[in-house]
Amino acid sequence: MLGSLIAELLVWQVSLSALWLVLISRLEPLEVFAGLGCALLGAVAAVAARRAVSGW
Amino acid sequence: MNAWLACASVLLVAGLFPVVWGVATGSLGRRVVAQNFGTSVVCLVMLLLAQGYERPAYTDLALVLAVLGPVGTLVYARLLADELGESPSKAQLPTVLAAAATVPVVIASCVAAGPGRAAVKLVVVGVLLVAGNVISSRTLSGAYVEPSEARHD
Repeated sequence: MLGSLIAELLVWQVSLSALWLVLISRLEPLEVFAGLGCALLGAVAAVAARRAVSGW
Repeated sequence: MNAWLACASVLLVAGLFPVVWGVATGSLGRRVVAQNFGTSVVCLVMLLLAQGYERPAYTDLALVLAVLGPVGTLVYARLLADELGESPSKAQLPTVLAAAATVPVVIASCVAAGPGRAAVKLVVVGVLLVAGNVISSRTLSGAYVEPSEARHD
């Protein structure tokens, strides 16, 4: 259960980070850090939303 | 005026005239479909203007429209569910037209932008636009209504 949760979070984290890096105009370290942080927030929100809809 | 701006002007006039006509006349479902088509037209015009004026920032406007346009249509579909459920509207033609216009605009913009992250961003915008149109048109035609939620009166 915990393993699938972490895997789901990682998939969201990687995909959202990739989307962020594609959409920004300039690649700078600060932008990358901000993107990774926002992607983590988005991943947690996505997993929480999926759990809220499906029950688990 | 370069070719990009000429194409944007033609698309703006040729696209928004039927949108205004569709929004101002006809049934409620037809009006919702027309406003959804309007966001697609303006999104594509923004992509062309970004190339015409050489301002990549306009692509961000297209990205926002590609996301929020279908979302706005879904909000309409939710709030007007009772009225729209009585007469599901056919939204296939505007969806096909929007997709058929999106493909050449995105390909031409990608060729002009060259290989790189900018081209990937344009492809993301195009995919979001087409996917949003398909989802919103299917929603408006009642494809996602559960049989238990259907009206029986």
